Amino acid sequence: MTLSDLFLRLRALMFRARVEEELEDEVEFHLAMAHRKHLEAGHSEEDAARLARLDFGRVGSVKEDCRGVRGIDIFETALQDIRYALRSFWRNPGFVLTVAGTIALGLGLNLALFTLFNAYVLRPISIRDPYSLYGFTWTDRQGAGHAFSWAEYKQFEKDNLAFSEVAAVQYIYTRVDGHAFQGQLVTGNYFQMLGVTSELGRPLLPEDASAPGREAVLVLSYQAWQSTFGGRADIIGMKLMVRGFPMEVVGVARKGFQDISEVPRDFWAPVTMADRLQDGSDLFGVEHPERLEIVGRLRRGQSVSGAKAILTAWSQRITAQLPEDHKAAGILLRSKATSIPLTPELLIVFSPLVIAFTLVLVLACTNVASMMLARAVARQREIGIRLSLGALRRRLIRQLLTESILLSIPAAILGFIISRVTIDASIRVMFATVPKDMLELIHDVPRPVDWRVIAFMVFATLASALLFGLAPAFQATRANVISSVRGEVTSDLRPVRARNALVIAQVTVCTLLLVACGVLVRTTMAMSAFDIGFRTNNVIAMEVAANSRRQVLDALASDPEVDTIAAASAIPLNGAVRTMTIRADDGPAISTAYNEVSPEYFGILGIPILRGRNFTKQESASETPVAILSAGAAQSLFAGRDAVGQIFHLSGKPARDVRVIGVAADIVTCCIPWGKDPALIYLPTTSATSAAVLVHVRGEVEAVRHRLDTRLAELAPGAIGDIHSLDQYRAAGMYAFRAASMIGAALGGLALFLTLTGIYGVLSYFVTQRTKEIGIRVALGATTRTVVGLVLTQSLRLTAIGIGLGVGLALGVSRLIASNLVFMRGFDVAPFAAGVLLVAFSALAAGYVPSRRAARIDPIQTIRYD
Amino acid sequence: MRKPSRLDLLQGTLDLLILRTLQSADAMHGWAISERIRQVSENVLQANQGSLYPALHRLEHQGWIKAEWGISELGRRARFYRLTAPGRKQLQQEADDWTRVAGAIGKVLELA
Repeated sequence: MTLSDLFLRLRALMFRARVEEELEDEVEFHLAMAHRKHLEAGHSEEDAARLARLDFGRVGSVKEDCRGVRGIDIFETALQDIRYALRSFWRNPGFVLTVAGTIALGLGLNLALFTLFNAYVLRPISIRDPYSLYGFTWTDRQGAGHAFSWAEYKQFEKDNLAFSEVAAVQYIYTRVDGHAFQGQLVTGNYFQMLGVTSELGRPLLPEDASAPGREAVLVLSYQAWQSTFGGRADIIGMKLMVRGFPMEVVGVARKGFQDISEVPRDFWAPVTMADRLQDGSDLFGVEHPERLEIVGRLRRGQSVSGAKAILTAWSQRITAQLPEDHKAAGILLRSKATSIPLTPELLIVFSPLVIAFTLVLVLACTNVASMMLARAVARQREIGIRLSLGALRRRLIRQLLTESILLSIPAAILGFIISRVTIDASIRVMFATVPKDMLELIHDVPRPVDWRVIAFMVFATLASALLFGLAPAFQATRANVISSVRGEVTSDLRPVRARNALVIAQVTVCTLLLVACGVLVRTTMAMSAFDIGFRTNNVIAMEVAANSRRQVLDALASDPEVDTIAAASAIPLNGAVRTMTIRADDGPAISTAYNEVSPEYFGILGIPILRGRNFTKQESASETPVAILSAGAAQSLFAGRDAVGQIFHLSGKPARDVRVIGVAADIVTCCIPWGKDPALIYLPTTSATSAAVLVHVRGEVEAVRHRLDTRLAELAPGAIGDIHSLDQYRAAGMYAFRAASMIGAALGGLALFLTLTGIYGVLSYFVTQRTKEIGIRVALGATTRTVVGLVLTQSLRLTAIGIGLGVGLALGVSRLIASNLVFMRGFDVAPFAAGVLLVAFSALAAGYVPSRRAARIDPIQTIRYD
Repeated sequence: MRKPSRLDLLQGTLDLLILRTLQSADAMHGWAISERIRQVSENVLQANQGSLYPALHRLEHQGWIKAEWGISELGRRARFYRLTAPGRKQLQQEADDWTRVAGAIGKVLELA
């Protein structure tokens, strides 16, 4: 196709009337000239006109040939097809509504899922040139990332490698006026590097972070300014207490910027304030604590693979002097263009959800395909006639596909509405069901309908149109011309076979979804009922800033509703686990979880000391090198021997020998899905030095928590970090599974509904098609029971095959999942049994109505029918 | 593949005639082209005048000729065609081919 050709075709397409007129004029001109010539030759007016036409040939066919040259007839026939389809839809609005509604359900759900996926994973963060922004860290031999010390960051900045700009950031959590505030400590160039301006006041500037201890300023996010401070205009200059330290608000970041981390942030402050805002070792001190993350912009023209090579070499050089365990084994370079980077791991985690959602869409498509097939068979006669009149099969398939695509347009519109409603509803459900204390950590991110969402919608719509339209189109146009004109459509049984296959596919998918959902629910139930090894009721845990600890402890000790106070360096069930490496004299090194606790810890949580004894007050106060092991740790360190009295080596800072004084029962430290810790050791500490305080309280725990929070906030503003009941920690840890169960139940229910209607449709059709046969059977003496049996057998036969396939698939899937989750180990018969029974019962129910209709067939009427 | 029909053969010839006719003039409308072919061939090539137009449009689509509206010698609006540079090249090649084939056929006929 040449350029001029393309141009002329486009012109013909866009200015059809004009091009047509030009053709008319051109022919007209020719005829006029010929007419004139014949007149001059002496012919009469009438003869001249006749001769001119004679010479020219058939005007109509010449014009048609000229139009053919334009090559836009494909559009013209498409237009015909569309008009034809619309006419038939108009006559049958019920069909259109059912199809559109069914497809829209599946489409809407998938669109909702994609909109969320897009918001987090695909949509670039609103900053300057997001795609050149990368996070960098080096990794140890296990592949775990490494946080940087201030000195390492400074070295990195000085060496000026693959990045044109680099910044260091650190997460910080505080509470302002009882609201959770998540912030980022950043180097002074952060806002400049990202190109983020301020809505109000100014962004952070390099001068703010010029030296440790400067400046006590912060910038709020637009969101936090609006929601926590009601958008008040006098916010600039206000002092906020951040972890007990007054900080001046100097600006509000521009609307839409909520940092480049996974979770939106509420404020930013200079990293040089780290020492003031944080307990423990000084970021700028001699201990060189490793707390910083590095982000930077790759230099223009610098390839990612090249940067990786440079950074790997640098990391290995920097860590060359360190002990073997601390040497860099590799590096991680992660794009920061989107909230959550699109990695293979993410896709794996996400895939079960995608598969389940896609299956629902496929189910909807099969339902519609089955309906289209029934319709096509009903139109067999029409199609047969058209074929026998010489219509090309290709042309008919194109027409049937045009219908499918037309049907999918209202489906797409409806699906879009459903997706918006679904997202709104699920967010509302989430806010309603999420544990109360988690609520304030949840930020709604913008979920725009951008070009990616639109493109996905168009793609999914077209794909489903093909899915439900292609098979029926091929099936219907395969008709035997002669028999279909005679009306003998039943002689070709292939459409029936195709529909049976569709039903089997539906039952399979439905069984798979229901069983998977059952497994999920059972797992969640097992987790809720799981004995985590300690009591959570009436215990409140809080993080206390070091500078206010004395004050807070005194207040707690004098509180009438507080029974016992215990200290710990880590709150159990808060989703984190700290590990260290220990070794018995003669044994191998093992990795173990650890916690530093006061003697009251075991009592408050009801963790039994199985052997030996608890820490004494003196051991706590002096942090004597003694330890209590969990039963698991004792087993793996000193298998078969009495652990009490043994010595092990602890390779922390400082490395030391520790004597075992007791063995406690196993508990879950990190998260319930992981089960109990394989190994856990307790080291002694006191409430004066540890970060977390646990209190056992009398009375209604939530009310006490609220009262304590308010009271402590007045006493020592900003001193309390998290303060939650352990029940809330437990509920928060379970929430992901509860949410997954809810989603699973919704999908399973939808799948069941679609399958039910699918089976119903097929059986109704089966009965209609075999009316004559059934009538003859009844005439020959078949009872109602045998007729009902005939139909139900048909239904159950298909269902049985489908269930068999579905159970097989579900077995495979659950084995795959079980390998990743403690609680899914072993075969649980209940969800399988429940799923199978539910599907079988539904199939029977769906078959019952058509079977009764079959039983009511009047033999006289059906036999007279021909 | 479609079998080459009689029409295809005629079309090929017609294309060549049109291109050649336009070569010796600046711009011509359809009627003038048809008259010119008739005159030059001394009434031998006169067939259906109508078939000229699909051929003209096809050549236009191929970019070998260009059409524009103008005023005819009698003051009527008419569509004028002119040869383009690619059209000139095409004519050259087709004319060469034609001569070669005609020559070959002539030789075969002489032999027989």
